[in-house]
Amino acid sequence: MLVIQDLTLHRGKKVLLSGLYAEFTAGQVVVVLGPNGAGKSTLLQSMLGMFTPAAGRITIDGKAVAECSRQDLAEKMTWQGDLPPSEFGLTVSQRLHLSANGPDEAKNQQAMTLMDLAKLKHRALDALSSGERQRVEIAATMVRDNPIWLMDEPTAHLDLRHQVDCLQLMKKEAQQGRLIITVLHDLQQAAAVADTVILLDGNGGAEVGVANEMLTPEHLMPVFGVQIQGEGKLLMPMYFEEKQ
Amino acid sequence: MNDQRTWPLLLSLLVLTAVVMVVSLGIGSHWISPFSPASELDSRILWELRLPRVLIAFAVGGLLALAGAWFQVLLGNPLAEPYVLGVASSAAVGAVAGMMLFPETIWAMSLGAFAGAWIGIASVLMFAHLGTTRLLLAGVVLAAFWSAILMLLLALMPERGVALAYAWMMGDLSRSDIALPYLLLVWGGALLAGLVLARSLDKLLLGEKHAAALGVDVRKLRFGLLLLASAVTAIAVTAAGTIGFVGLIVPHLMRLLLGSLHRAVLLASAFGGGILLILADTAARTVITPAELPVGVLTAMIGVPVFLWLLLRAR
Repeated sequence: MLVIQDLTLHRGKKVLLSGLYAEFTAGQVVVVLGPNGAGKSTLLQSMLGMFTPAAGRITIDGKAVAECSRQDLAEKMTWQGDLPPSEFGLTVSQRLHLSANGPDEAKNQQAMTLMDLAKLKHRALDALSSGERQRVEIAATMVRDNPIWLMDEPTAHLDLRHQVDCLQLMKKEAQQGRLIITVLHDLQQAAAVADTVILLDGNGGAEVGVANEMLTPEHLMPVFGVQIQGEGKLLMPMYFEEKQ
Repeated sequence: MNDQRTWPLLLSLLVLTAVVMVVSLGIGSHWISPFSPASELDSRILWELRLPRVLIAFAVGGLLALAGAWFQVLLGNPLAEPYVLGVASSAAVGAVAGMMLFPETIWAMSLGAFAGAWIGIASVLMFAHLGTTRLLLAGVVLAAFWSAILMLLLALMPERGVALAYAWMMGDLSRSDIALPYLLLVWGGALLAGLVLARSLDKLLLGEKHAAALGVDVRKLRFGLLLLASAVTAIAVTAAGTIGFVGLIVPHLMRLLLGSLHRAVLLASAFGGGILLILADTAARTVITPAELPVGVLTAMIGVPVFLWLLLRAR
């Protein structure tokens, strides 16, 4: 469904990514991991055609992203990212309507219910807390019925309850045939939802692999430069050295 | 969603437009009933003097309000407005320069105004990403700059300079010689263009990245907006000089009443701006009768307190 060939991304003089090859089929959650500034968000934006790669190409269903119109891309992919502050007083329900690609009231309702937005419906976005705003953005992703979701830190700012809701949603939507590519920072969360992992090392290197092979202390420790223990779904960074 | 409120409110604006027009037609040096003018002379005053003036005020007011709304989206700032940011003055500079350089060419003034507006907006745009404070500060400084150049140009026209300066700098509908049908057509065309772009403008409120992800070709849209806002500001300024704050007060009020979706905001602003300027102009030509005030004096007296209040509220 989404194929990345020889992708090279530069930001100024810095090489974010060099010669990445990957192929993602529908029906899975792909988690992008890596340190700050490694180019995780930029990778998502290059898939959206909003960041021009220095080399290589990305194709979706056989069609190169660089050759698609914005409208075509917007019908294939939904992007969830930080909403910049605005003083125009857009309300929650207006924001959702702007994202919906059809007048599907049922879908709107479902999204609002899952993200507990019913009470906030008529509130202005700039009057919400960052967690509430994040819930609106997840709901806005839901109402746009596209085969690919590109999510940039969807669980950021969310409380525990909504983090769980969000991860469950991603897993469920992937099982129903969507391709979900998401940037996460929490290893626990990554292990909970990932089918595939892209690990960016921050120096242009990247590794792509099956989640349970990638999410091991051996793979992660050199990239993040911290001690990590555990395995499977229980990976823990070591915050303090433990005295035996 | 304020959908249930939108249509009744728009309808009320339409009715209000009609009422304000009829009342303003009647008001003047003496009252003339628009439905039964007492004499042949009254009838001529009504239809040949007052009606064109009311319609010009309506169209110019509507255009200023639309330009304001577009400016606000273009700069991502609800406090942006062509007059406050000096774009009206830069359009006036362009118009006067065109008039002086090519006094024989009819289009020189309009084209000059358009070029002036374009340059004015482009200079302000460079400061848009620096936040409200610096944007407004840059706008104020640029406005002072353009006004100075305007004064300089007018000073070079010794015979009519002072009277003209008065009209260009504070707005004046009394000497407007712009063709009325043309002006009304521009009003309609601008509103239509606004409505066609409304959905994309709404998406732009979410920021450029989100708009792009939702299928908006942001560069094209911004270029189109720049073109529209320049053209509309230029035409309004050519018709009536620089009139401030209509483009600020009206879209703001409409957003408060109707929410921020542009289909309703633009429709309401095109009429609301017209209503406001008819009222201001009616006051301008009657409060110190038989003399007239420049209409910009009145819009500034209403606009400045509103602007400051909004600034305080936005923190």
